[in-house]
Amino acid sequence: MTYEPPITDYDHIVENCTCAFCGCNCDDLDYLVKDGHVVAVRHACRLGASKIMEDMDQRLLVPMIRDEDGELKEVDWDTALDTAAEYIANSIRPVFYGWSETSTECMKEGVELGEYIGAVLDNQATICHGPSLQAVQNAGYPIQTLGEVQNRADMCVYSGSNAMNSHPRHMARYAVFCRGYFRQRGRFDRTVVTMDPKFSDTAKMSDKWIGFEQNGDYGFYNAIRAVLKGKELYQDVISGIPKEDIYELAEEMKNAEFGVLFFGLGLTHTLGKQRNIDIAIKMVQDLNKFSKWGLTPMRGHFNVNGFNIFMAFHTGFAFGVDFCRGYARYMMGETNTIDLLVRKEPDCFMVIAADPGAHFPNGANQHLADIPVIQIDIHWGPSTELADVVLPGSFIAVECGGTSYRMDGVPIWMKKAIDKPETCRDDEWIVRELKERVMKLREEPNVLDAYEVNPNIL
Amino acid sequence: MKTITFDQIKFSTIALEMDEIIPDTVYDWTEDDFAKYQVPIGNSRFPITDFFDITVEGEAESAAEVKMIFKGDLNRTKYIGSKMSAGEIYCYGNVDLHVGAEMSGGYIYVEGNAAAHAGREMSGGKLEITGNTKEFTGASYIGEWRGMSGGEIIVHGNAGKQCGECLVGGKIRVKGDCDILAGIHMTKGLIEIDGNVNRWPGGQMKNGNIVVHGHLGRLLEGFVLQGVVVDPVVDGEQFEGKYIHYVGDIGLNGKGSLYLGAETNREKLGEYGEHDDEYTSIREYRNLE
Amino acid sequence: MEYILKNGIVYDPTNKVAGEKKDVMFKDAKIVEDVSSDAKVIDVTDKIVMPAGVDPHAHVAGPKLVVGRLYRPEDSRRGVTAKTKYIRGEAGFSIPSCPTTGYRYSRLGYGTVVEAAMPPLEAKHTHEEISITPNIDIPALPLFGNNWFCMEYAKENNLEDMAAYVSAMLKITKGYGIKIVNPCGSEAWGWGMNVHGVNDKAPYFDVTSKELIIALAKVNEMLGLPHSIHIHPNDLGHPGNVPTTLETLDAVKNIKKSSKATIRDQVVHCTHLQFHSYTGNSWKDAASGAEEVAKYVNSHDHMTCDVGQVTLDETTTMTADAPMEYDLFKISGLKWANKDIECETAAGIIPCIYSGSAPVSTLQWAIGLELFLHIDNPWQVCLTTDHPNAGPFIRYPRIMSWLMSSKRRMEMIDNGEVHKWAHKRTTLATLDREYDFNDIAIISRAAPAKIHGFADRGALTPGYRADIAVYDINPNEIDPSVQYEEIEKGFSNALYTIKDGQFVVKDKEVVMNKESQNIWVNVKGYEREEEKVINDIMPFFTQYYSVKWENYPVHDHYVSNPIVVDVER
Repeated sequence: MTYEPPITDYDHIVENCTCAFCGCNCDDLDYLVKDGHVVAVRHACRLGASKIMEDMDQRLLVPMIRDEDGELKEVDWDTALDTAAEYIANSIRPVFYGWSETSTECMKEGVELGEYIGAVLDNQATICHGPSLQAVQNAGYPIQTLGEVQNRADMCVYSGSNAMNSHPRHMARYAVFCRGYFRQRGRFDRTVVTMDPKFSDTAKMSDKWIGFEQNGDYGFYNAIRAVLKGKELYQDVISGIPKEDIYELAEEMKNAEFGVLFFGLGLTHTLGKQRNIDIAIKMVQDLNKFSKWGLTPMRGHFNVNGFNIFMAFHTGFAFGVDFCRGYARYMMGETNTIDLLVRKEPDCFMVIAADPGAHFPNGANQHLADIPVIQIDIHWGPSTELADVVLPGSFIAVECGGTSYRMDGVPIWMKKAIDKPETCRDDEWIVRELKERVMKLREEPNVLDAYEVNPNIL
Repeated sequence: MKTITFDQIKFSTIALEMDEIIPDTVYDWTEDDFAKYQVPIGNSRFPITDFFDITVEGEAESAAEVKMIFKGDLNRTKYIGSKMSAGEIYCYGNVDLHVGAEMSGGYIYVEGNAAAHAGREMSGGKLEITGNTKEFTGASYIGEWRGMSGGEIIVHGNAGKQCGECLVGGKIRVKGDCDILAGIHMTKGLIEIDGNVNRWPGGQMKNGNIVVHGHLGRLLEGFVLQGVVVDPVVDGEQFEGKYIHYVGDIGLNGKGSLYLGAETNREKLGEYGEHDDEYTSIREYRNLE
Repeated sequence: MEYILKNGIVYDPTNKVAGEKKDVMFKDAKIVEDVSSDAKVIDVTDKIVMPAGVDPHAHVAGPKLVVGRLYRPEDSRRGVTAKTKYIRGEAGFSIPSCPTTGYRYSRLGYGTVVEAAMPPLEAKHTHEEISITPNIDIPALPLFGNNWFCMEYAKENNLEDMAAYVSAMLKITKGYGIKIVNPCGSEAWGWGMNVHGVNDKAPYFDVTSKELIIALAKVNEMLGLPHSIHIHPNDLGHPGNVPTTLETLDAVKNIKKSSKATIRDQVVHCTHLQFHSYTGNSWKDAASGAEEVAKYVNSHDHMTCDVGQVTLDETTTMTADAPMEYDLFKISGLKWANKDIECETAAGIIPCIYSGSAPVSTLQWAIGLELFLHIDNPWQVCLTTDHPNAGPFIRYPRIMSWLMSSKRRMEMIDNGEVHKWAHKRTTLATLDREYDFNDIAIISRAAPAKIHGFADRGALTPGYRADIAVYDINPNEIDPSVQYEEIEKGFSNALYTIKDGQFVVKDKEVVMNKESQNIWVNVKGYEREEEKVINDIMPFFTQYYSVKWENYPVHDHYVSNPIVVDVER
């Protein structure tokens, strides 16, 4: 890393802004503003700072529509919104995907539109922590806020998560290095264990690295659970780990005063998927018989947890909510974006604050190329190349205020610091406009005349 | 007896939802009734006759006297026979999600493959699939800890991941191979697998029985070897031959039984010392006649 | 707009109207004495007219609810219905989604529901949920019983600073009163422990739950809040917890009620008393302590209670008493969720199956009913199920039918609908008291409104909000003792529910999405003290909370349409 001199040329500072990058939602950022742009960010990690400062990089500024030649043409807002609304109103199986990088205020408009037209609403959980949510639904959810970790934890376990790279301030601000009320010496009062097949940067600074073999997660946790029950292991090596090490680790975990398991996509996306998390949760529950243990999924986008929480209190289901029959429905493999796209079902796709072009498997993107795609975003990206209508939004937590939920479920009000570019609009406004225009274009499908308890609901 | 034949004339890429077309609802329908019926597709409804040529023969007084026959590519026809309580359904072609989900009686025959969630939470009746099934055959709804509670599922081909998840009763028979985590979280019932299993059957099982005739790749540590049994009776069924018997999953004090065909899995016994044809050197030697 | 509800049979216990045939009039959002001749006449001849219901204690909005909804899709699936012309789709049985909660309370004829546990750190979340729950007003009670600052103040007996802190927190969280849950116990849960009895100290904090309760009760009266302290005592759900319950209540009996709190009579409200009335040493020899507890209630007027009646359903238990939830997990093994909140509280959640064939469920069911029947003064007891802990709130009508029919209760005991413990270990079978419609009106609206100190609802007094429920039951013709099924049916679906003068239920159909309002208490006159206290705690807050102070308060953005109750110093 090269030395960068501190920025001294700025007009004013906006204090206590919230970072709109990862699930840590650090709310102690100071923005240095000059000429209406953020020129430097204090306290943020490299990931957060670069996202905030390079807000104008490849910025989408004007609404666009793809013409007959397949080229994106700049148009005025009315034309763009009308075209988008028409696509939505004429669709039979619309999917509204994304939402994790926008505010719950915007989601509120989105869920109303989705419920009106009968769409599927889904977020990035479907490609990242969806298995965690499914596991939570099967096994339980012993969590705690991050301050609780800071104040009490004397053992932090990172499993399938490289926090040093993916959530750079997580260890510093919330979990490992920070001083807590009962952990006044910070890092020295804590044992850090990394469970990862890879010797990651997090593993390098841990006290212990458990490098179990790839796809061995389920067998490994199963062995720990058996040891916690007092069973002797019959194999000498389990999932690549000698059994003596497993005994030692189990003993250490039992003796911790307050332990926390942080897990990431390394656990959710290896063989066994949600069952890896399932058994890890069960292990944490077992450990509570000996001491105090909790866990936290290391959520990626800053508001990915927010969408799950928001959908749960609006509709009763966390993600992949299908309104097509006039009621909410959730079924993995049936109402999730990737499955729907691979099955070539959707005939209209709205992506808001997400980049399927970059993240989705090829089969899913192939179908996206065949159907109308509406993009609401702030940057030009692979999804823009797939989009038929582009609606430039604004940058939550920088240009526009909004609520987000941190990875541990703590709500944060992300305040506005600078003005958005004149030609852009707030996400909330865009979705509300779309909703109102769709309502004019199409009568609400699947509406009952009177309340009816339907025993046949799926 | 009433025979209703659905001959596919048009394939829709957006799935048709057939939950309203089950013997319990259509036993007194005529061809005219079908002509009037609109099938849910996405957020809309379209005449079912756009997609199927429907012929009705005979009369029925109740659902039990109905025989429905589906022909064609049913890869986008969901919920066939879901929640049915009686009657028969024959599908010639691959079927989509949730075939026989939550059925409580009757018989479904699928000549072809079935997509995920076949026989989900069924409580009675019989579901027979000649081809393969995908994930969650005979499983529970997500979050529900009480899955399939009765009836029988027979898969002649291979079964996908997490077959019989949260099983609380009934029987699942897989004649081919089975993917990982068969019978995860099960508390009762029987899963019989003729083919091979690559990993981890019976993860976190509390009770119930799994019988694997083929070869098991990797066993979980949560299972404790009991010994070798000959001609065991499992869940009321007589099996012939020698089986290695494990109990688990010990991680949650489970008392489920896992039986592995002794001939195909004899290397499992090697870990307990030398072995010969009579398995006499097994430390936990029991029940051997 | 003016309306007359004509010829209804009115039960309005606050105004001592018990089953009189009279007209109820309202204009715009308020009840009035008289209306002009233009008033629209609604004929409700021989139908029950009551003030809209007030639920004194339910869990309807907040972070732990959402954990429940998030991790129990199988429960959400149980109550799914399709959207109609007027309302959004519903979902959920024991933990319905927010819109569903509003619609279902409207169908029961309820207008106000008190959210009983709001962790201050996540108060924004609670208010977000309140704002999308239609048709009911929801005050929320912030949790103070395991708050580190409160524990410190109680240890030092520094009541002035504690009062300023509480006053500031009510503003910060937009809260209505002081809620105490398992004082010191949820803090002990931070280390996987619990406290037992009121004289046990929280680890590291050197303060007992009794000291904390007394301090908070004194502060409550110093500030003169409309509601008293709202307490969930230690040892919930443990056999042999009667002494703890009585000690808790006895600890505050000599505290004098503030003269500013004119509506309520009590200085302590003990919630879900049913869970705190067990004798014995373990579940093997557990029995009912309801008679002893009721005897205490009958001889002490400094307290009120609600029951937390078990309804024998599959439900979801969720409480800030997290160690108790872990104990339940050890028994049932079902999926256990937990949510610890830094420096403030904890919460536990687990699905729970109460079944009439299970001895313990039956015992709990019987104890609840015993409490209702043993407590003589209905103004001291409220109808709750501690939704969703002992059962979902949609079962209130069923509880009413049990209370109104001794025949039905005996039938359940005799025909084996409940376990034999009901008559072996409780006195329920010997009780033949039956509630009348006036008693029902007291326990479901008048008493809760009085206990919470609401000066604008819970009665049909002119000037009050026009929150009215009309039920399709003719009290002159029905015999509740025999026709208990009709009672349940009648109270399950109000003919009309009127909220702030608007018909939210018309002809038994929910016909509108009315924006709900939060009610919060604004204590005036402590501004200087509050500033000092906030300055004092700031170094601690900055160091040990994981959010910045600027992000801690609930911004006005989240409570767009509040009802503010001002309390002058």
